[in-house]
Amino acid sequence: MMDPLLENLLAGFVDEAQEIYERVARSMMELEKAPAQGPSFDELARGLHTLKGSAATLGLEELADFAHRMEDVVLPLRGSSKPLPARLSDAVLKSLDVWMAHLRAIAAKGQLPDLAPSVALLETVKPDAPAPAAAKSRKKKNGKGPSASETLAATVARAPEPEPPAAPTPAPVPAPAEDAQADSWRVTTRQVIALLHEVERLREVRLRLEERRREIDRALQQLDRLGIQAETAEARSVLLGVRRALGADGEEAADIVASMEDGLKTISTMPVRTAIEPLHRAVRDICKATGKQAKLAVVGAEVSLDRRVLEQLRGPLVHLVRNAVDHGLELPQVREARGKHPDGALAIRVEQQGNMLFIEVSDDGAGLDLEQIREAALRRALVPAEELANMSTQQLHQLIFRPGFSTKAEATEYSGRGVGLDVVRNQIQALQGHVEVQSVPGQSTRFVLTLPADLGSSPVLVVRCGEHQLGLPMVAVESSRRARSKDLRVGRSRVQLEHREQLIPVQDLGALVGLRQPEVPAEGQPLLILQSQGRTMALSVDEVLGDRELVIRPLPVEIRELAAYQGAATLARGELVLILRPDFIVSTERRADTGLISTRRALVVDDSLTARALHRTALETGGYLVHTASNARQALEQLRHSAYDVMVCDIGMDEMDGYELTAAVRQRVETDSMPILLVSARDSENDRQRGLAVGADGFLTKKDCVSGRLLSEVGSVIARRKGAA
Amino acid sequence: VKVQPREPGGFAPELNELLVRRAQRIRQKPAEDEDENLLWVAEFPVGEETYALPLDTLRAAVPLKMVTPVPLSPPHVIGILRFQGQIVTALSLASLLGGRGWREDPAVLLVVDPGFGRLVALDCERIPKPSGLPHAQVAEARARSSGPTCEITLAGTRQVSLLDLLRLMDRRQGQEKR
Repeated sequence: MMDPLLENLLAGFVDEAQEIYERVARSMMELEKAPAQGPSFDELARGLHTLKGSAATLGLEELADFAHRMEDVVLPLRGSSKPLPARLSDAVLKSLDVWMAHLRAIAAKGQLPDLAPSVALLETVKPDAPAPAAAKSRKKKNGKGPSASETLAATVARAPEPEPPAAPTPAPVPAPAEDAQADSWRVTTRQVIALLHEVERLREVRLRLEERRREIDRALQQLDRLGIQAETAEARSVLLGVRRALGADGEEAADIVASMEDGLKTISTMPVRTAIEPLHRAVRDICKATGKQAKLAVVGAEVSLDRRVLEQLRGPLVHLVRNAVDHGLELPQVREARGKHPDGALAIRVEQQGNMLFIEVSDDGAGLDLEQIREAALRRALVPAEELANMSTQQLHQLIFRPGFSTKAEATEYSGRGVGLDVVRNQIQALQGHVEVQSVPGQSTRFVLTLPADLGSSPVLVVRCGEHQLGLPMVAVESSRRARSKDLRVGRSRVQLEHREQLIPVQDLGALVGLRQPEVPAEGQPLLILQSQGRTMALSVDEVLGDRELVIRPLPVEIRELAAYQGAATLARGELVLILRPDFIVSTERRADTGLISTRRALVVDDSLTARALHRTALETGGYLVHTASNARQALEQLRHSAYDVMVCDIGMDEMDGYELTAAVRQRVETDSMPILLVSARDSENDRQRGLAVGADGFLTKKDCVSGRLLSEVGSVIARRKGAA
Repeated sequence: VKVQPREPGGFAPELNELLVRRAQRIRQKPAEDEDENLLWVAEFPVGEETYALPLDTLRAAVPLKMVTPVPLSPPHVIGILRFQGQIVTALSLASLLGGRGWREDPAVLLVVDPGFGRLVALDCERIPKPSGLPHAQVAEARARSSGPTCEITLAGTRQVSLLDLLRLMDRRQGQEKR
C-alpha cells in the first residue's frame, strides 16, 4: 500500500508532469523543423531533466532512469545546425507517451506499461557519442537525480559542437509538491461545485436586494403622491433609511460575488492551452501518416476554463483536429494545384463571451462535399433517398453527426469507422452545449462548439416583442437607431435599411420567432444593427428595455435543439428571459428552410398559456400557421398588420373579453368578415347566443376542444363565412 | 397587547369535538398492511377524465405563473420556469396526451421527476389529491397497457388513468423524431 503522503505528492506530480510532457513534445516538434539549438532545445532539455529529477525525488527510479535515457538520445545533438532526425524524434515522442502512461498507471495503481520496448527503441536512435559523465552523475546522491548544474555541465560536455557561452541556465528543478502539505489542500470537485452554486445563489440574492430597493422607491413615490403629511413623515424617513441601507448592502453583495467568483475561478479553472497543446502532436502524427502538411494556429489559448469542461473537451478537440487533417485538408500537391499553400491552415479559436464559451476549429481544406455526404448517407442507409433529395445544405451538413456516418469507404487508423462526429456531438451535448458546422466547398470547414461556462455573466440587451421579452448578446449589437421611412427600402419580399452608405436587410423580430407576420418597421420603431458571422442586419423590435449583466444558462433538454436560443437568464424579479443567438438571426439559410408552406393562418386569443398551447397543437396538426395573442389589445394589434383565415378566441379575458373583441373586430372593414370561433370554459346557452349576437360564427366549450372537434368547428366556421359571401 | 393563553374549553363544543377527532386520527397508527397494498398517487382531472401519477414522482405543485413562453418551440411546450435554481420545461399534459379538452384553464404546474435525471413540469387544472390505488390492479393494468397510460377501474366504476411518465416523454420524443 502506498504511503498516503507519497500518494498526495504523486497526484500533484502527475499534473505537473503532464504540463512538462506537453512542453517537451511541443519543443520536439519545433526542433523537427529547426536547428537543434536555441530556446526550444533549452525547453526540451529542461523538461526532460525535470521529469528525471522529480521522478527520482519521489523514488520512481524506473521512470527517472527512463527519462535519463531520453536525455541521452537528445542532448548530444544540442547546438546542431540541423533539425532533429525524424526517426529520433518519433522514438522520443513515443517514449514520452509511455513515460506518462507509466506515471499515470502508478498514480492510479493500474497495470504498468512495459518500458522495455521503448528503452530498446531509444537505443536504436541513440547518437554514437557516449555520455559517461551524465550516467555517473546520476548515480550520486543516494539515488536522487543530478542537480541542474550537473546536468548542464554534462550536457555541455556531451555537445558535439561548442556551446555558446551565454547558454541559458536551466530553471531550478522544483521539488514537486514538497510544500504540498503546508501550502495547499486537496479539495474535491464536488466541494468546489457546491461553492459555485452558492455564489450563484448569492448573485440572485443581490438581484433581489435591487428589486426590494425598487419596491421601496415605488412606495416612496406613492407617499409623495399623497403629499407631505405629518402622518406619513415617519414612514417616509424609515423607508428612506431602508432604501439607503439596501443600496449599500446590494453593493457589498456585488463586491462579495465578484471576489468569490474570482477566487473560485482561480481554483476551478485551467488555461485551455493545456487541452490544446497535445493537438500539435496529434496534427504532426496524422500529417506524417497521411502525407499531408498542416500548421495549427491557436487564438485564445490563455482563456481559463472549468477543469471538468476542459477534461471533457480533450476528446472532441482531438477528433475535430484529426478530422480536419484527414478529411478536410488536401494533399500538398492538390493544394498547390488549387492555388493554395501546400501547408494547410488549421485554426482553433477560443473565446469566452460572458458565461458562454465558443470554440472554433477550422481548416482551409476542401470543405464538405455535399455529393459525398449524400452518397455516404445512401450507402449506409441513414436516410431514405426521397428524404435526402429534399434536404437543404444545412440539413445535409447535419448528417455528418449521425452515428455510423463516414464518407470513407474503408477504415483507416484515423477515420472511416463511422464513429466520431456523433461522439463529438454527444460529448458536447453532455456539457449542455451544441456543435454547428459551416462549410464553403473548396475553401473551408468550420466547427463551432458553444458551451456554457459556470462562472461569469454576459452583457445582454433586453428587448420587447409583443408581450415577450427577449435578450440579445451585446457582443452582437453594433448600434441601435430609430426607423426613418426615408432610410427604408421596402420591396415586395424584403425590407432594407440604408445604413452607413450600405443597404442591409431588415428583419422583424416578431416574425423571426414566429409570433406574427413580418411587419415593415413603423416610423420611430427601434432598430438594432447586429453583426454576426460577417453579416450585418437590422432587427426591428417593439421596445428596447435596456442592457443587463445576466448569467446565461443552457435551456432544458426538451427545447435545447431550438436553433434560435443560446439559453435563458434570470431577471431581477425571478422571471426567465430567453437569449437569442445572433447567428440564428443573421442566418439566411434558416429563412430558406422555414419557407412557410402553410396557406391558412389562424390567430388564437386566450389569456391562458396552456389553452394557447392546446389550440396551437390542434390547429398546427390541421396545417394552420398559428399566431397567438394573450389579450384582446394584442390581438387587435396583430390584426392591424396581418390577415388571418380564422380567429379562435376565449371569452373570459381580463380588460376586454371575447364578446367585446369580436364586436371590435366586426367593426373594422378589414376584419368584418373574418371567421371567428369563440371558446369558453362555461357551457352556457346564454354565452353561445350572446357570442353569435356580437358576430361570432361558432361557439365551442373548452372541454369539447379535443383536436378533431376544434379542427372541424374551425373548418365549419370558415365554410359558413365563405357560404355567406 | 396582552396575549391570553388559550383555554381548553374556549372553543364551541362542535369545534372542540372536531379537534379531538382530528387529534385521534393523527395519533392512529397507520394501517401498514393497507398501505403496503396501495400505490400512492396524485390524482387530478384533465377535462372529463381523471388522471394520476405515482406520488413518488411528484416533486411539487406550484402555481402556473412566472412561466416564460418559448416562441418556436413545439406546441406541447408551454414555456420554461425556474424551480429550485433549475430551468424546467413546462409541458401541456393535454397536448402530450394527444389533444384533450379541458374544463378549467390549468392553474397549477406539477413538477415531476419522470426518472431520467431531470425535472419537467406538467400543467394541471387543479391541485391534485393524494389517493391510493390497489397494487394488484395497477400491476394488472400495467401489464395490459403498452401506452403512456393504463386504465384502472375502481369501486363504483370510477376510472383513473395512471400515467407512465417515461413512456409519455418517450412517445413525444418519438413523434418529434418522426
